Amino acid sequence: MSSRSPFSEMLATLIRQRGVVGSMVVSESDGIVVDSNLQIGVKGTVVAALAASLYRKARLSASAAGLGEATFLQLEAERGRVFAIGRNDLVMVTVAETRANIGLIRVAMLRALEDGGLG
Amino acid sequence: MTIAVVEPWVEEPLKRFVSEARVLLALLLHPSGQVLAQHGFTRAMDVMSACALAAAIHASAGELGRQLEGKPFAGLHHAGRERQIFLAPVATARGQYILLTVFDRESSLGLVQLYYGEFQARLAAAAPAAPEPAVVLAENFEGELNRNLAVLFGRG
Repeated sequence: MSSRSPFSEMLATLIRQRGVVGSMVVSESDGIVVDSNLQIGVKGTVVAALAASLYRKARLSASAAGLGEATFLQLEAERGRVFAIGRNDLVMVTVAETRANIGLIRVAMLRALEDGGLG
Repeated sequence: MTIAVVEPWVEEPLKRFVSEARVLLALLLHPSGQVLAQHGFTRAMDVMSACALAAAIHASAGELGRQLEGKPFAGLHHAGRERQIFLAPVATARGQYILLTVFDRESSLGLVQLYYGEFQARLAAAAPAAPEPAVVLAENFEGELNRNLAVLFGRG
């Protein structure tokens, strides 16, 4: 997305992490991209819809199991990882290659959330 | 899952769409309002009403799009408190059809749009060659409409 939004700076910080190929803010209930910073080839709308659904179900599962709110979701796949964290019906989704530093991404996303990145 | 179809080539793509997008209701119809397939409806009357309304909404939205942008709008989404509808055209070699689908919090607009794209591709691939051109609204429209409803609800 070319125009600046309240999320642009936060997304730019995440995309600068080594191995990160895309970061997005997605509406949890709709699965629609609110803002994104993606490398060419990343299917933003597809990842957004599926990741938001996954995060929502993980959140509901954690709540149903009496574990409280889901804080940080990490999905490991053959060639990379998907991270998600949410608040206020918004989910911050980061897609990274296997070479990415998980710890740094996790810290960056949690810090962005604490700083009110999702309101 | 129960999918009722008038034309067999529609069944598999619609079944996958319903299963993957986790929608409550799905209706595939001709822009004239004739039903081709349905999932989730229990009464022929409901299908008939939904088809008539969907065809009318599609025609109105299409014309509005042409007036505003020079081309019809691609899709229409309406969010209710509990349920949402998504209405969009599907192009095939046999012509254009309309997909009307209703979903709740089990799904999302993003998921429905995602699987609608896949449904479009599958339906286009499954569609047989176009038939001979026919009149827009056939003389026996009502008879055909009733026949389709009877096929869908097992009264054929």
